[in-house]
Amino acid sequence: MPSPITVNIKMYQVGELGDCFLLSFREGDKESNVLIDCGSFRNSANSKTRLNTVVTKIKSQLKSGRLDIVVGTHQHNDHLSGYEHAKDQFKDSIDKVWLSWLDDPNDPLANQIAADHKNLVSQLAAVNSALTALKPGKELDPVRDILGFYGLDGTGPGVPERGLANLKQFSKSKVDYLTPGDIKSLPGISPDSVKVYVFGPPKDQKLLFDKDPANGQSYDQALRLAGMDAARFLSTISNHTGKADPTEDQFPFPKRYKRSEAQSDKEIVNRYRSSEFAWKRIDNNWMEQANQLALYLDSYTNNSSLVLAFELVNSGKVLLFVGDAQIGNWLSWEQLEFNAGGKCVKAFDLLARTVLYKVGHHASHNATLVQGLEAMKHEELVAMIPVDKTDPNITKPNGWKMPAENLYKRIKEKTKYRVLRMDDGFADECDPSKAGYKGKWADLPSKPKINKNDLNIEYTVFG
Amino acid sequence: MPYKKKLTRRLNGYALDPGFSTRLDTMGVNEIVYEIKWENVKNGPVGEYFEVIDYDPASNCYYDPVNLNDIEILAQNGLPASESNPKFHQQFVYTIAMKTLEHFERSLGRRIIWSPRIIIKKGQSPEEPEKGFDTEYVARLRLYPHAFRQANAFYDPNRKAVLFGYFEAGSKIQGSNLPGGVIFTCLSPDIVSHELTHALLDSIHPRFIENTNRDVPAFHEAFADIVALLQRFTLTSLLENQIAKTSGSLSKFSFLGELATQFGNAMEEGRGGALRGAIGAIGNDGIWKKFDPDPNLYQTVNEPHKRGSILVSTIFDGFVRLYDVKTADLLRIATNGTGVLQPGAIHPDLVKRLAAEAAEIAEHLLHVCIRALDYCPPVDIDFGDYLRALITADVDSNPRDDRGYRVALIEAFRSWGIFPNRVNTLSEESLVWSNPDHLTPNERLFLKQISVELKKWVSDMVDLTMDETCNRKDIYDQSVKVQKQLYALLIDVANGATKIKMTKRQIHHFMQKLGLTNQPIAMLYDGKEVHSNTVPMLEVSNIRPVYRTGREGKLVEQVLVTLTQTFRVRKGDLTGARFRGGCTIILNMGKGYEIDFIIYKNILSQHRFEATIDYQTGKSQGTTALTDSMYSQGSGFAPVDFAQLHAINP
Repeated sequence: MPSPITVNIKMYQVGELGDCFLLSFREGDKESNVLIDCGSFRNSANSKTRLNTVVTKIKSQLKSGRLDIVVGTHQHNDHLSGYEHAKDQFKDSIDKVWLSWLDDPNDPLANQIAADHKNLVSQLAAVNSALTALKPGKELDPVRDILGFYGLDGTGPGVPERGLANLKQFSKSKVDYLTPGDIKSLPGISPDSVKVYVFGPPKDQKLLFDKDPANGQSYDQALRLAGMDAARFLSTISNHTGKADPTEDQFPFPKRYKRSEAQSDKEIVNRYRSSEFAWKRIDNNWMEQANQLALYLDSYTNNSSLVLAFELVNSGKVLLFVGDAQIGNWLSWEQLEFNAGGKCVKAFDLLARTVLYKVGHHASHNATLVQGLEAMKHEELVAMIPVDKTDPNITKPNGWKMPAENLYKRIKEKTKYRVLRMDDGFADECDPSKAGYKGKWADLPSKPKINKNDLNIEYTVFG
Repeated sequence: MPYKKKLTRRLNGYALDPGFSTRLDTMGVNEIVYEIKWENVKNGPVGEYFEVIDYDPASNCYYDPVNLNDIEILAQNGLPASESNPKFHQQFVYTIAMKTLEHFERSLGRRIIWSPRIIIKKGQSPEEPEKGFDTEYVARLRLYPHAFRQANAFYDPNRKAVLFGYFEAGSKIQGSNLPGGVIFTCLSPDIVSHELTHALLDSIHPRFIENTNRDVPAFHEAFADIVALLQRFTLTSLLENQIAKTSGSLSKFSFLGELATQFGNAMEEGRGGALRGAIGAIGNDGIWKKFDPDPNLYQTVNEPHKRGSILVSTIFDGFVRLYDVKTADLLRIATNGTGVLQPGAIHPDLVKRLAAEAAEIAEHLLHVCIRALDYCPPVDIDFGDYLRALITADVDSNPRDDRGYRVALIEAFRSWGIFPNRVNTLSEESLVWSNPDHLTPNERLFLKQISVELKKWVSDMVDLTMDETCNRKDIYDQSVKVQKQLYALLIDVANGATKIKMTKRQIHHFMQKLGLTNQPIAMLYDGKEVHSNTVPMLEVSNIRPVYRTGREGKLVEQVLVTLTQTFRVRKGDLTGARFRGGCTIILNMGKGYEIDFIIYKNILSQHRFEATIDYQTGKSQGTTALTDSMYSQGSGFAPVDFAQLHAINP
């Protein structure tokens, strides 16, 4: 008879949008500590200090002072920046690192994708700085916002890229690059007690690259075409910066057709410029393309998230950590099956047994597949949302909708109002000490704790 | 002797996309001469309805406007078709826009007035119409042939403009595109008429851009495709080419059925083939096949374009059925009575006759499809409503139907599984919107009184409408005036302040028959009550006299009146939700303004309220979040955004 197993989950308050989760598995006197992501959106002095404090707190939790497993889900600042800013603290404390197959330097496909990905990021950074020089209005907010995810603070590689490199270097034993279908066990814990199922990122390129897989794109084109579009777009910008790129001479028409406003037909120019019809003008519409490219890049990167399901074998309970996986990643799970010692386990069966769901992408509407959430049917379901309502990306006008209203509402319903948030601790209607409480925490063997001084929200699953 | 006044302007253009001019099998038929209504145009072209402004902000330049009155241009049917001359692009956008407009004006029997611009001043809000807002007449729809560099084109309801993009074709060779060449969306007749149709539909039904059920965004797409598709089938020379090739069978492979082929070919990530091969597809065997009707799709498919193509397929199906029936005799004559064609080419005379039949059917069908818009409820359209509108519109102007149009349409809808709500049988009688025979004598008196007043007011509009030379702004101004008068009268009715005495309860019942209410609204949702504290404001949104002739020569003279109300939720979980109801009333001018039809959606319908909110909050199956970004809530309260709906990701 194996000892009962518990998992203690701590969601760390990084002070802005960001993910940092410590999972402590305990079986008798054995313990295994898994850190999933450590990052926050910005790279300011404040952000760095906060992350260092958080990492210090994490390390104080560890008996051995070492992390058994450290996970980096995907290359965004708000998931990896801590591995750079607090690298001195991580340096000699990581036993093993888990990354996705996309980070594997020996996978030729992954390398190719990485190169195209990097190219697109740098092209977009160039687009952003060129466009910013034109001083447009609010049109370009998405580009700027999204580039924030890549932590490009100088000319060198961005912060998340450096964080990832650090992880590879710090891992005491060989890094494991995980592929959907893999089943892992935790060091120090009996492999019969906890199984870790790898859900994503999909190997199926259609699902990986396409936020809307119905389009039927395949890899060769998607990322690289976006890169080409970005390069083309740079040349478009050059029409506005004084020195037009030579390719613009013939595009879309030969130069002889092109007229400046002063040379052009007076009546047409007056019609276009007339103040009465100013509302019909389209001066900056063309810049919108930059936003689309940026949003595409963002979706792709999110979709490349490493997704892990931790199964507590005895009770069948599952803890699901999805990173920021978007629709394509989720859809790939529909077909996904695992060979667990000769037994076939379906990914969606694991969803049905989920008792802890780490909500993807700070609960934006596009990072939780409806069918996926609906499949989570366990009585004890609890959700954790790493969202911070004071983050400027959320508070600004027309900012990010996190959590997205309808999704948030549905998560509360599905969990019987047992939702924890990084900023407030309890989500509204889920706090037993407050008016309007609807929750059913009392049905669970443990209650969440809000450890203000330790900067975390804590909850324990009994397996 | 004075010359006769000019009636039409002849302009060169593409019948299919430019790429077909460089294919041996289509090069002879791709360049045709369009005939459009003559009007005086300025450089641009800028005419009465459209203004083409060729400003290319991405390239930071203008292109000189075409002068269609230039003697050289006039004498040669406009500029020759050319991808590399921006002036031709301007001419072509104008040509197709005019052609599409002509179909609408002919079918609807009135002049098109673009949907007015709504001006919200300081202290006002679109969500609080009771605080007032201004509307402004929009004379011209603006067309930008080179608005941006993306594989997209869209109608922008706020700018009252259509923006066409251009882009580099993907680097892989697909179809007949030059890899790396430039594709101009403004040169595809399908794309131009598709986008124009969005604008025209918006001018008729401004509420159809509100995403209230899964058919609404699909309907806008489908309708725009139907118009583009049927318009293509009215081009006789193209039909002859295709019919010769397919030996008379419309179900075989035919370019005609695929919209915007060049646009689709250029999209590298696409599978090749047309942008929206709505009516058939190339199978695994590489052979094109018309889709077999699948009645399950209407229940299961939600993505707006795919859902829309169900409706497109249905209409095309009806078209093929009519064509088969109507050409059976021709085939028998040509085959000594067997009706079985020999393999190989068919006789050119037969081709001509078959093409003429097909073109006639296409035109009739196109006009029925457009006319049906006047018989749709003003809000919350679904495909079933549209079928009923189609049948009613056709019965109204072609009561005999000895040519089988309605039967063909009903058969097609049945085989594609589209059934209207609460209709017991799919017979013509049960599909036609019912005449308002359930009114009480007092209610009839009421309506009579309204008609008498309306008749006085509308007569000025009628005069204006009949006058070919009148300014459309006068019609608009008059219409706004009548709207205000009718509004005042209806408020009197609702307050019981007219001569005919009815109790508040009786008035309530009367309003209900118009889909409206004279009381504050209370609905249940999720077990909780949702209130409006006040009676929703009444809107008189449209008053239009129409004159149209059906294919049987019957003249129809009617006045359309649209009344709506909006329940705005301002408290609780559903804050921001809007729920609308109201009706289209069709009055018969020929019969002393008697009411022919009241086509309504009830604002007090608890069932429809729940369904709408379920849909918009993502509870029911098939909610379409029209944007896929973290900037959106992913809910359906936002209107349909055409830029997003058409955008193809990089």
